[in-house]
Amino acid sequence: MKVLISIDDTDNLDSPGTGALAAEIARMIRVRNWGQTFCITRHQLYIHPAIPYTSHNSAMCFAADIDPACTETMIAASAEFLVEQSAVGSDPGLCVVRTETCTDPGALVGFGQAAKSQVLSKEDAYCLARRLRLHLSEHGGTGQGVIGALAGAGLRLSGNDGRMRGRLTLSGDASQITVKALREHRDIDAVQTLAGELLPDSTLINLGDKVKTVLLGGGSTLLVTEEVAGAVARWRTCSNQELKGY
Amino acid sequence: MGEYAGGKEEFAAVALRAAACRDFIEDDADEWVADEAQSCYNCRARRWTATSFVCMRGQL
Repeated sequence: MKVLISIDDTDNLDSPGTGALAAEIARMIRVRNWGQTFCITRHQLYIHPAIPYTSHNSAMCFAADIDPACTETMIAASAEFLVEQSAVGSDPGLCVVRTETCTDPGALVGFGQAAKSQVLSKEDAYCLARRLRLHLSEHGGTGQGVIGALAGAGLRLSGNDGRMRGRLTLSGDASQITVKALREHRDIDAVQTLAGELLPDSTLINLGDKVKTVLLGGGSTLLVTEEVAGAVARWRTCSNQELKGY
Repeated sequence: MGEYAGGKEEFAAVALRAAACRDFIEDDADEWVADEAQSCYNCRARRWTATSFVCMRGQL
């Protein structure tokens, strides 16, 4: 069964971040043989004085393929994990979406997109979760994290929001690589320019220090930008600064 | 400390500030937005606001 697992508001200024907790939940799923997990995405939500957040207001989400017999156990264990591991003063929320049976994916995506530019309430989140029969639960504090958890799932489902957690490890120490070789990497689905142009397989790309993909077009997409004049390759991978809007 | 007056695009200036700051602590790398590792924009003590950030050092 394909699911999205999304969490938010689990940290404080000196605790491990929400991404680290998402990675631990994913690891638990694999270790206990409940299923397979896929990359974690970070989704930026609205920054507004009326919204309580630690430092950046981002939700973390990952997809998983879970043995249907283990789904409820997995949800209960994830909730228990959040209770135990979330930081003092945090307001953790957990959302689990069964993507194949979600009755109105457009509404879920719409909630995620709204959470990037509007102040939403817990009632808004619970109301939609009830209507779509999604799992949405709070695990401490004010439980305000349910809003971001639901939004994170919606944005992941949109296929067009957020950066992948972590950076890619590429074999070898070459400073240039072809698009074909990049697309053969298990964590890269597409290579395209910031303007949205897909590059031919033979195109050579200069690799930066950190190679990171974003969620675009439903896949893990490596964005590249034009090199300075005179460089060996015409394109290079994007820097942190160039990816900050994703 | 109040909100940083320079906003979110003053990369060179906040790299200099962070270089001179004894309280700088790198945030999780997934939260980095500056290319310079030592930058207020990459610091665990910065709290983003709509137009800039507030330095929360002393609260860590």
